[in-house]
This record gives sequence, structure tokens and C-alpha cells, in this order.
Amino acid sequence: MTTAAPIYLDHAATAPLDPQVAAAICECLRDPGLQGNAASVHAPGRAAAVRVEQARAQVARLVGAEPGSIVFTSGATESVNLAILGAARAAGANLHHLVTARTEHRAALDACRQLEREGFAVSWLATGSDGSADPAQVASALRPGTALVSLMHANNETGVINDIAAVGQLCLERGVTFHVDAAQSAGKLPIDVQAMNVALLSFCAHKLGGPKGIGALYVRHRPRPALQPLQFGGGHERGLRAGSLATHQIVGFGVACELALTRLADDAARVRALRERLWAGLQAAAPVERNGGTEPGLPGILNVRFPGIEGESLLLSLDGRLAASSGSACSSASAEPSYVLRALGLSDLAAQASLRLSLGRATTGEEVDRAAALLVASVNRLRALLPAGAIERIA
Amino acid sequence: MTGTRAIYSQLVRELFERLPHAGDLGPGAGTAVHGEAMALDRGAWVRFDARIEDGRVVDCSFRAWGCPHTLAAAALIASRLHGEGIGNEAAFDALRLARELGAPAEKLGRLLVVEDALSGMLARAHALQ
Repeated sequence: MTTAAPIYLDHAATAPLDPQVAAAICECLRDPGLQGNAASVHAPGRAAAVRVEQARAQVARLVGAEPGSIVFTSGATESVNLAILGAARAAGANLHHLVTARTEHRAALDACRQLEREGFAVSWLATGSDGSADPAQVASALRPGTALVSLMHANNETGVINDIAAVGQLCLERGVTFHVDAAQSAGKLPIDVQAMNVALLSFCAHKLGGPKGIGALYVRHRPRPALQPLQFGGGHERGLRAGSLATHQIVGFGVACELALTRLADDAARVRALRERLWAGLQAAAPVERNGGTEPGLPGILNVRFPGIEGESLLLSLDGRLAASSGSACSSASAEPSYVLRALGLSDLAAQASLRLSLGRATTGEEVDRAAALLVASVNRLRALLPAGAIERIA
Repeated sequence: MTGTRAIYSQLVRELFERLPHAGDLGPGAGTAVHGEAMALDRGAWVRFDARIEDGRVVDCSFRAWGCPHTLAAAALIASRLHGEGIGNEAAFDALRLARELGAPAEKLGRLLVVEDALSGMLARAHALQ
């Protein structure tokens, strides 16, 4: 007996590997001529280096950058850490202040907390109820000693988009290094690092159909931000990231970026339409609320709240049938409500009654309809158990 | 959304799947009693209803908001009380429920809410005798 695979609506956590990417990786791993170290000067090494540089150009094109400005890393978390820790530590002696938002990914939050322990001051911006960071708030947080502003392009839980171009212009005018965490937006939204005045931009492969374990940090050429490496052991990647390059991962990343760029407009329109179809289907479980508003938002993320529903019970109801992310940090008994949703003004109970449904290129209309039906049935079953007045009390 | 099989015992999963005695009491003879307890900060709200006739629980149901352990505990109690004689009913305290359901220690606060709701209902049932 075969068990049907769960409907996968967790593309914001990781997207399925695109078959063309998988083929390129396998071809690279099989080819005896590509097994050299890309840093070696012999023929196999040079062949690998050619493929790495081809991929670097593909990755750069996705964000409107020059190939030489791309530094390969192990993923977005490393890129974010390199950008934040590296830029802050390399800043001048009088630059000991950073600006970021409370709704950033843990990779950025924890890097900033580490810098606080090292003596840096951090301005933690509160977001509006829509979850976006107001450029005017950024402006008023800047000081003469500000070394870095770090913001995400699009929020990983709500899909809410920040006005990166406005903050980029502000940072350019004030001579402050601007880092953008584009882990969720790369390949989903158009990005032009030059037009947006971004100095550092982090993204990775596995959110856009590439393999896990490979990411990139864009480092602007002119003016080049001061950046201190986090690891040592060779002069790889312009001295910013020591370690032998994973040729096959980089090749896969390159193909994933090329596919994402080619399909970006079509994918965005299709996925946005599917998201709205899902939202429409969930109306049969009313009351249902949308966290983080509607637009501007990432096409594939729908963060919903079912008043009166206890999140853990909803997750168990869906177990094995729908893969999504809850409004809690994890599904354990002691799960903390999402700090992002709490920053939006939601109560702990409301955050725990929330679910992030994230769609991607591989999502089909039939899956969306089945997911909606499953969620409606699960929510209605749990609501039918509630004591009188519970929905109103547990909003 | 991973790891739920490790968190929940087989009994919790079975009870959660079926939720026996969830909802309202069916029609029938006897005196209706209820008990209700709520602690939203702990994540549980439970109400038991029972119909008592000739010193026995002839029907029992529950309504609840809470985690799977809370719902499973309420379903377990409602199932066990069915047919029990008032005064002879088995003791269901939070510790016993936690042991039987394989609930982790951090769920004790919620299971205490289940215990409180049950105690309230049984106190009313005993008062009828």
C-alpha cells in the first residue's frame, strides 16, 4: 500500500530541487573532467573553475550584479553572518552602531545580538502592523556612528516586502553600509542591487529550486564596503571566504538562478493567482484572517490565522497530509509563538493559531484546492469542539 | 510540522483521531451536571457535561480548546466515566493523565485544567446523591 505524499506548501522553508538543476549537478559530479579543485592550475582544476565562473555569472545576473562581486558561501545564514559580523567588525573605530528590525530572520538577529555582546549598539526597529520597516524610521535611527543597516527584502513568515530602494538611497546619502537579506525574495522578485543602492546582499540556492548548502553574498565593487572574513585558510573568494569551492553545488545554483530569472514574471503571476485561489478556498473556514496584509507581498506566501484554533491541534490534524509551517517556533510542546507575528501586534494565542502556507513553482491548482479542503475540514472539526464563546475569547 | 510522531503517544494519536464523546449530551433521562475550567494563558479550556441517573453516569461528553494532549485527556475521561457509579469513579488527576497519555512535563499545566473541569462536574454530581 502506498501512502500519498503530503501536499507541500512549505516552499519558503525550502523549494523542491528543479529537475534541470538536479541534472546539471549530476552531470557535474559524473564528469571526470570536472573533478579538479577550482583553485588548482592544472587542466581539471581549470575546467572546474570555468564552470564555477559560468555559474557565478548566472548567479550575478539574477540580482543585477557583476560576476566578480559574488562571493560563494554555504547558504544564506553564512552570507548574512559574513555581511553583518564582517561589516561591523571591519568598520572604523568610531562606527559602533547598527540598525535592523525586530522581524528579521534569526540569522540576522543572532548576528546582531553577538555584536551587542562585543560592544556594538543596535537600534531594533519595530515594524508597522503590516510588518514592513518604514524608511522614515530607518532615517531617524541613523547616527554619525552607524556602521550598518541590515534589513530583509521580504519577510520569511508573512511575505511582507520592505522598500529596499528607499532605504538604499538613504544609506547611500549618509555613507552607511546597507545589507539586504534576500533569501526569500531572490528569484521571486526583481532585484537590481545597483538601482537599489545595496552594498551587501545575501541569498541562497535552495529557496529557488537549487541545492541546499550553497549561497552567495553580493559585495559591491564601488564603493566597496569594508568587510572582515569570518573564516581563514586560503585566499578563496577574494579573501572573504576561505575553503575549496563545491563545484557541483555552484553549478546547480547557477542553473537555478538562470531558470528563476527566465521564469520570474510568469512564476510570480501564476503563484500569486494560486495563493489567491487558496485564500478564497479558506473562506469556508471563516472567520479566517490574513497576517501581514495583502500587497506588496511575496507571491507565494499566505500567512493565515484561524481564530479559536489551537495551533498544535491544527498541526496534528494536518500531520502527514499537508506540509506547512506553524505560527510557533517549532511543533514541540513548549513552542514559543512566532516573534514575527508578535511584532505585528498579534497576541500569543493569535500567533499560535496561525499557519504559513507557502507556494512555489511546483505547486498545482489541484494541490491548492485539496489543501484548502483539508484545512477547512480540520478547522471546522476543531471549532465544533469548542466550549461556548471560545472563538470570541480566543481571538 | 515535523516530529509529531515523536511528541504524541499512540494513545494520544488514537484519541485525537476519534475524539469519542466530543460535543453535547444526547437526549435522555437523568439530571444534567457540568464542570468547566479555563486557563487561556496555559492553553486549555475544558467543559464536561454528564447526565446522572440512579447514581450512575449514563452519558458524558466534553468540549475543549487546547493541544492534542488536552483533547485526548478529556476524551479519555469522558469515555471512562460512561457507566460509572458516582462515588466509585476512578480518580483522574493530572499526574495520572500525564502518565497514561505519555504527556511531557510541560503539559501538566494544561492537564490540571482538565482535572479542574472534572472535579467541578463530579462535585455537582456528588451533591445530587
